[in-house]
Amino acid sequence: MSLVRQLWLAIALITATIFAGAFMVSMLSASSYLEQELQRKNIDNANSLALSMSQQTKDEVTVELQVAALFDSGHYQSITVYAPDKSVLIERIQERSDAKVPEWFVHLFPIQSIPGQAQITDGWKQFGTIVLISHNRFAHQALWQQAWSMLMWFTVIGVLSGFIGMLALRAIKRPLAAVVDQAKAISERRFLTITEPKTPELKSVVRAMNDMVSRVKNMFADEARRLDLLQQQINFDSVTGLGNRDYFMGRTREILSSEKSAPTGVLLLLRLTDLAELNTQLGHAETDQLLKVIGNAFNKLTENAPERLSARLKGADFALLAPSVENAASLAQQLSEFLASATQPQEGTELDLFHIGAVPYNRGDQLGNLLTAADQALAIAENKGANSWHAEANSHFQIASGNDDWRELLTNALANARLKLVMYPVNNNHGELLHQEGMVRLQAKPEGDWLSAGDFMPMAARLELTGPIDLSVVQHALLQLKAHPGQLAINLAAETIADWKFRNDLSTLLRNNHDLCSRLWFEVGEYGAIKQYEAFRDLCATLKQLGCKVGIEHFGHHLHGVQKLSDLGLDYFKLDASLVRNIDQNTGNQNLIKGLCRMAHSIGTIVIAVGIKNQSEQETLLELGIDGLTGPAISKSNR
Amino acid sequence: MHQKLRIATSILLIVLATVWFARQSQSIDFEQLEQIAAKRYGNEALQAVHSWRIALENTGKKENEQLKAVNTFFNQQILFEDDKVIWGQSDYWATPLEILWKGSADCEDFAIAKYVSLKALGIAPEKLRLTYVKARIGGPSSDFFQAHMVLAYYANPNDEPMILDNLITDIRPASRRQDLIPIFSFNAEGLWVAGAGPSPQASGTSRLSRWKDVLERMKADGYQ
Repeated sequence: MSLVRQLWLAIALITATIFAGAFMVSMLSASSYLEQELQRKNIDNANSLALSMSQQTKDEVTVELQVAALFDSGHYQSITVYAPDKSVLIERIQERSDAKVPEWFVHLFPIQSIPGQAQITDGWKQFGTIVLISHNRFAHQALWQQAWSMLMWFTVIGVLSGFIGMLALRAIKRPLAAVVDQAKAISERRFLTITEPKTPELKSVVRAMNDMVSRVKNMFADEARRLDLLQQQINFDSVTGLGNRDYFMGRTREILSSEKSAPTGVLLLLRLTDLAELNTQLGHAETDQLLKVIGNAFNKLTENAPERLSARLKGADFALLAPSVENAASLAQQLSEFLASATQPQEGTELDLFHIGAVPYNRGDQLGNLLTAADQALAIAENKGANSWHAEANSHFQIASGNDDWRELLTNALANARLKLVMYPVNNNHGELLHQEGMVRLQAKPEGDWLSAGDFMPMAARLELTGPIDLSVVQHALLQLKAHPGQLAINLAAETIADWKFRNDLSTLLRNNHDLCSRLWFEVGEYGAIKQYEAFRDLCATLKQLGCKVGIEHFGHHLHGVQKLSDLGLDYFKLDASLVRNIDQNTGNQNLIKGLCRMAHSIGTIVIAVGIKNQSEQETLLELGIDGLTGPAISKSNR
Repeated sequence: MHQKLRIATSILLIVLATVWFARQSQSIDFEQLEQIAAKRYGNEALQAVHSWRIALENTGKKENEQLKAVNTFFNQQILFEDDKVIWGQSDYWATPLEILWKGSADCEDFAIAKYVSLKALGIAPEKLRLTYVKARIGGPSSDFFQAHMVLAYYANPNDEPMILDNLITDIRPASRRQDLIPIFSFNAEGLWVAGAGPSPQASGTSRLSRWKDVLERMKADGYQ
């Protein structure tokens, strides 16, 4: 029973008890008063009659008439005249009365009519004794009426006090509801703080909960900061702030192989002409300054394009991977111009600082081959002279040429439902199926190839078509859940969640399929979730309310931004595949993942490792505290 | 549990015993009365009460003797005086203690004191009637009447009563009291609940009547 209902019951009980008590007391005192009054009346009337009879002649007729006159005109039960020898001279009895009082009431509150007695004298001689009893039904009638009016008053007062009680309870309930909501939010891993209510008892509860919440948040934030630092140390170059070789290689391999990444792109290499010479010419500090300038130029090229990747591979070598970029030459030129303006302050004294080589790539290219090709382009650039660049032209296959073509292809595909989900299993750490991840495939042309997300999503994003595509994916997912048991995870594009109309359509769609929501998992890329934080928070609230699970994918690259994700009640983090790659040999990333697991567990979120290739990686990850696993090795073992 | 039961039983026994003794003794608690007299009114009152006690203690067993002794004691001891003179108010029913202290009383005070005394001596209250009478003052030919009260004693319900009056010294049968015309009479039973002892409700009722008022005051002083 809820607290408020208990309080209601208590109020009702107390009111009823008070009523019953007051009613009984009042009835008893009233009945005792009435009894007294009756007796008083009996005595007085007996005396009056006796006095008047004593003065009259005592013949039978007179005596009888006097008794009858009093009896018939009054409210008497009986009037009896006894002779001195106790024999009855005259008796008048009236049992019936026209008072309407229920029998049970008479039994419950008896009112005794105590007889009045008086002596009749005839001169000095005793004539007799009068015993007179007034009818008690009239007293009962009065008592009965009082009971009714009391009942009425108590009803009025009861309703009034109920109303006041309701107001009081509402005043109590309001802060209580806030506390309950907070407790619920905490149990859903949404770490909210609320303003302390004025009620002292609740105040201490809220204070304790707020403390707890902020402690959890601080713990999470501290851990995130620490891991961010750790990642900087493991994966980034300390001078330029760019990624290091391992980081670059890992992520590039991932981008080249992942179906979610763009099908084409450009790899660019920059080499400083002679770093050792520069060191002697400029001195160590100046050289570091120069390296920083180059790093900034690279950062400028990546700052508005999260999919791009830059790194300092070794002392004099820098790299930039730009997925979805088609024109290698323009990228090389852009970088060259940045550097020229930043590093050539004095006119006429042109230094031979760098060369740039850029090559386009297709998804599925081998990294080694790609680096070799880039190296060759670099060699050509070196032959062109100081600070020059060389870029290879694009030569890959294209599905469509322009924006309009793409728009037509995508809308057609959507209209004709040429869209499907391909399932990949995700296991928990006991090897049981946690959920299936549904990857979208789209058939651009009827009977044509099924394209993966990376093939069309970048274009869809540019054409603002991710919303309809994602909505269609959700519809497919719901059909899948209707037809098959189990849980299903699907991706939402960063562009989609920012779309208010999409969020609206999505929540309507899910509301209509409310029973399936608890089996549906939604994941959004880490970068998108942080960038579109407000939109993501709203989406989270909607989805979580419906019972869906919400998670972050490609987790682990923007740790300085994840702090604010701590109070959203996220269910899972899917680590970026580049962190998982070769994890059995990469102690740096092992530390990082261990930390990420600890951080996630502190807010009750599970961590899923993606792209597991072999048994050894899997074992290492499980040791690090990973809760879920997916990748080729898992798909194979499940099959 | 047993302890409680025992306590309850003892209390019940004490109450029952008190009631039994109270109903048995129709007498007057002279010890208490004397204490009160001494404390409230001083030595003279104490002496008067004491002489009353002696008078009652020295009467015989016969009702005739008891009547005579009581009648004589009060008629000799107490001076007949109007309430206005004694108490400064027109009609005040005084207790025997009060008349003994004052040494004077009005007619009804005599009647009450005699009634109480006779009752204490064991005469059944049914035989005693306080009677309002019209008294002719100044001889058989006088037509001056005064409101008066006497105590009538009925040896049997249908008998002619004996009249205990403070106007004359001796007790005479009613037929020999041509100067008195009876108007109305009452006894304790008529005002107290017939048969039963006074219940709390009854005392509430009777407090209004003068008769009950004086009974209450007497009871507080130690009469039964």
